[in-house]
Amino acid sequence: MSDPISPGVAPAIDAADVVKSFGALTALNGVSLSVAPGTLAALLGPNGAGKTTLVRIIATLSRPDSGRVRVLGVDVLAQPARARGLIGLTGQYAGLDEALTGRDNLVLIGRLAGLRRRSAVDRAAELGAAFGVAHALDRAVRTYSGGMRRRLDLAASLMTRPPVLVLDEPTTGLDPASRRQLWDVIAGLRTDGTTMVLTTQYLDEADRFADVVHVLDRGRVIATGTASELKSRVGRSVVEIRLQHAAAVPAAAAAVRDRLALPPADVRAHTGSGSVTATVAGADATGTLLAAAAALRAGGIAVTGLALRQPSLDEAFLALTDGRQGVGDRPARADEAPARGRARRLPAARRGADRVRP
Amino acid sequence: MTTGSVAVARPAVWRDSALIAGRQLRVLRLNPGRMIYPLVQPVVLLVLFVSVLGNLAVRHAAGAESYREFLIPGIFVQNAVLTSPTSGLGVLRDAASGVADRFRSLPMSRGAVLAGRLGADAIIFAAQAILLLAVATVLGFQLRSGVPGMAGVVAVTVGVGVGFATASCWLALLIGDPEAAERVLFFPAIALAFLSSAFAPVSELASWMRPIAGVSPVTAAADLVRAMAAGGPAAGPLLQLGCWIAGLTIVPGALATRRWQAGR
Repeated sequence: MSDPISPGVAPAIDAADVVKSFGALTALNGVSLSVAPGTLAALLGPNGAGKTTLVRIIATLSRPDSGRVRVLGVDVLAQPARARGLIGLTGQYAGLDEALTGRDNLVLIGRLAGLRRRSAVDRAAELGAAFGVAHALDRAVRTYSGGMRRRLDLAASLMTRPPVLVLDEPTTGLDPASRRQLWDVIAGLRTDGTTMVLTTQYLDEADRFADVVHVLDRGRVIATGTASELKSRVGRSVVEIRLQHAAAVPAAAAAVRDRLALPPADVRAHTGSGSVTATVAGADATGTLLAAAAALRAGGIAVTGLALRQPSLDEAFLALTDGRQGVGDRPARADEAPARGRARRLPAARRGADRVRP
Repeated sequence: MTTGSVAVARPAVWRDSALIAGRQLRVLRLNPGRMIYPLVQPVVLLVLFVSVLGNLAVRHAAGAESYREFLIPGIFVQNAVLTSPTSGLGVLRDAASGVADRFRSLPMSRGAVLAGRLGADAIIFAAQAILLLAVATVLGFQLRSGVPGMAGVVAVTVGVGVGFATASCWLALLIGDPEAAERVLFFPAIALAFLSSAFAPVSELASWMRPIAGVSPVTAAADLVRAMAAGGPAAGPLLQLGCWIAGLTIVPGALATRRWQAGR
């Protein structure tokens, strides 16, 4: 993953100290956010964290009580009309007229955004084909499936090729196949260099796409980093050992536990699969892995696999947001790590990229 | 797909309003069922009212030769008033759906959503008036002033309709809930038609009604249509109606536009 925050490059989106209250409820309590051009930033957080409020402010749909927002150098609060020309928005609810056809919607939105009729018609056909709705463009939107509707809505946001795109929970409520189709579209836009902000409740979505993840909780950014950084911030990794002979599982578990000085609860023996997993704390991942390897070698235990994997983003997210006040934007220390039971409840299957961090 | 933004024209209120008006008319074309309320029901009402009440003898028909001649202009205006809440409900439907955010996020003119809708409504009110004039002519209604009179009747219908439609947009956005708005908006439209000279001269109404009916825009509009049909003083009703249309469009229009822009 490329360096997400390169010094010297002016950010495409730059929000500083954004505060927004709705009556007694403080939705955003001093949020700052910087998104480099051509990158995708994910805003991750539970319901009510302030994600939607923040993207609505960026997209000029809502005004903050205080703070500053710039998009490609344009002050969104002072010049909302200019900013609107730079930003495409796909909201939580499809911004489409159900009574019109897909093509009518695209052409109308394109023309309202300033395109000439001819260009709007051409662009509508182009996007319809690109997003897999070409066959349905002359049908009323009310006949569309949820996935088609979202894709058409995203196409509508792209009629004028805005350099900045704001996506508010674009895949919420979609079935897995539709989610995948929308992901393909987002991946394509990223390749094209569109700067994107995406809010999501799905950790795998943030993990998959985001150059930088901003974790929001109760109106504050409580952590910022790549998915990988956030995971390592939890301060715990998992050593996974696959043994040649299942019979050696108890010996291997004992050897690793003793060498790494782990509490018995953090080392699990899986005799069925012939493997041992150990949850370890500390920053010295290489040292941990070498120590585990040395312990196995000293015990004469044959292994077929030895890996250090990161905790999942789920685990990082829970550790960062779980009812703890004042975590701030600093790494969680080992003693702030989540309750041990939770780490083990998470699925063991991880993607290859996460195995053995350099 | 290529990147880079297309140069976007500056928001132009006329262009954007025309686009929104086009959207409204396109919705009607694709969904002909939506034309029943503004175009078919008024014709049915006109035929029913005239068939049931048209032959009644009345003492004062305000210059009209028969009650039929008195009643038909009232029904023209009544129908425009009854049609007007659909504008407010439409705006509220947009406001309550993702369409509002879509429009607000576009570099388009802010006032165009309302202006465009009212523009499309003006066309619908004109169509309604022309249709009613045609059916009324079949029923024996005659305009002494001929073609200019017909244009006048269309203008009055459009004026009254757009005036009440603008007010309904503001009220609907004020109410905020589409279902509640549907129940709230139609009732005053019905009451207004009765609290006027639409069905009987003001002097024949119950005494408590007379002060209200006397200043009503519906009275002014119905009397103006009667003046164009049968002759008689037009200046008074015209002035009264002009003031009402200005009052119903300018202030509620500005307030509705502001409310639309403010969003949620």
